[in-house]
Amino acid sequence: MQTFEEKFTAWIDGRLSGVELQRFEAELASNPEALSGKEDAHRLGDLLRKEYRAPELRNADFFNHQLLQRIAAETPHRGEPVETAPAFWPLWRMAWAGGLSLIIAAVLFHAVVRPGPSPAPAAKDLLAQVLDANTADPGVTASSFQSQADSVTVLWLDGLDYIPADYVLE
Amino acid sequence: MDREGSRPTLQVEGAQDVVVEINDPELVIRCQQGDTQAFDALVTKYRTRVHALIYNMVHNEQDAWDLAQDSFVKAWKSIDRFRGQASFYTWIYRIATNVTIDWVRKRKAEGGVEFDDALNVQAEPGSPTAPRPEAAPADKIAHAEIRGRIDAAIGKLSPEHRAVILMREIDGLSYEEIAESMDSSLGTVMSRLFYARKKLQSMLKDLHANV
Repeated sequence: MQTFEEKFTAWIDGRLSGVELQRFEAELASNPEALSGKEDAHRLGDLLRKEYRAPELRNADFFNHQLLQRIAAETPHRGEPVETAPAFWPLWRMAWAGGLSLIIAAVLFHAVVRPGPSPAPAAKDLLAQVLDANTADPGVTASSFQSQADSVTVLWLDGLDYIPADYVLE
Repeated sequence: MDREGSRPTLQVEGAQDVVVEINDPELVIRCQQGDTQAFDALVTKYRTRVHALIYNMVHNEQDAWDLAQDSFVKAWKSIDRFRGQASFYTWIYRIATNVTIDWVRKRKAEGGVEFDDALNVQAEPGSPTAPRPEAAPADKIAHAEIRGRIDAAIGKLSPEHRAVILMREIDGLSYEEIAESMDSSLGTVMSRLFYARKKLQSMLKDLHANV
């Protein structure tokens, strides 16, 4: 929807036609001042075109010469590397360096900080050798084996002489 | 209005006396590749109109020269961003208009007074800037007076209204071209034209009534 100003301008410049033109001129019929505005606007245009001419650009060739010199001085030649002040690392380089640092930290943690092998599995089977066993024969060693799941502890003596089947431990 | 009037030409490298006519889009592509010769051809084609538009807004030859230079330098620096949706003509007009409007605003904010070359024409009738050097001295004085009146009236318009009325009445640009040059809508251009005409009509009524 055009405003009155837009329609009036279009009317002056001959950009209204057909029904639109008829409607607008009917709208203006009751306003003789507005009707005369068209002629005034055309006269103003004629006056400006006749009297308002800018002077010729003097020394036009020098204009180009000066311009090209300015361009040469103010802009780097295309294709040549542009020297820029060393800026802080660009984002991609910071991201790359960050990732690398994380990998190195993880490797060091596994190699240095993390304690040896992982503890015994969940099954609580314990095996121990008794080092200070008072046995008559020094060749005898004692080991204990405990299974918490089965609530059983076994004492294992190794290096004993043959024990007869009817020998009773008292 | 013949905007392609003087077609830009380029001397072919290594081939003396061979001159090739090249259109604006091709010249722009060459400029984007860093060819200052191509830019020189575009400047030659549009320098007079750009200078005239600016001169009519600032009323001073030296300022118009400097602002036209600034406009073309700006165009060269941003030629990579020119994608060819608009014509080079309206694009350079847009740059020149923005540069000049900024200058006028800055000048007003600093409290400066626009120097009016027309006032000097009377003092120097033989000046080469006089539009019709062959005219009789009396005609020159009359012309200078009219020019002075129009300058004063246009000087009272806002920079945007000045640009619109000059583009339309002096350069004969269409609404669409003005809208492109000023980065405005058609409605804004038409509305600005309405008010610019109205103000000038009231200020110059005695002049245009006798045209």
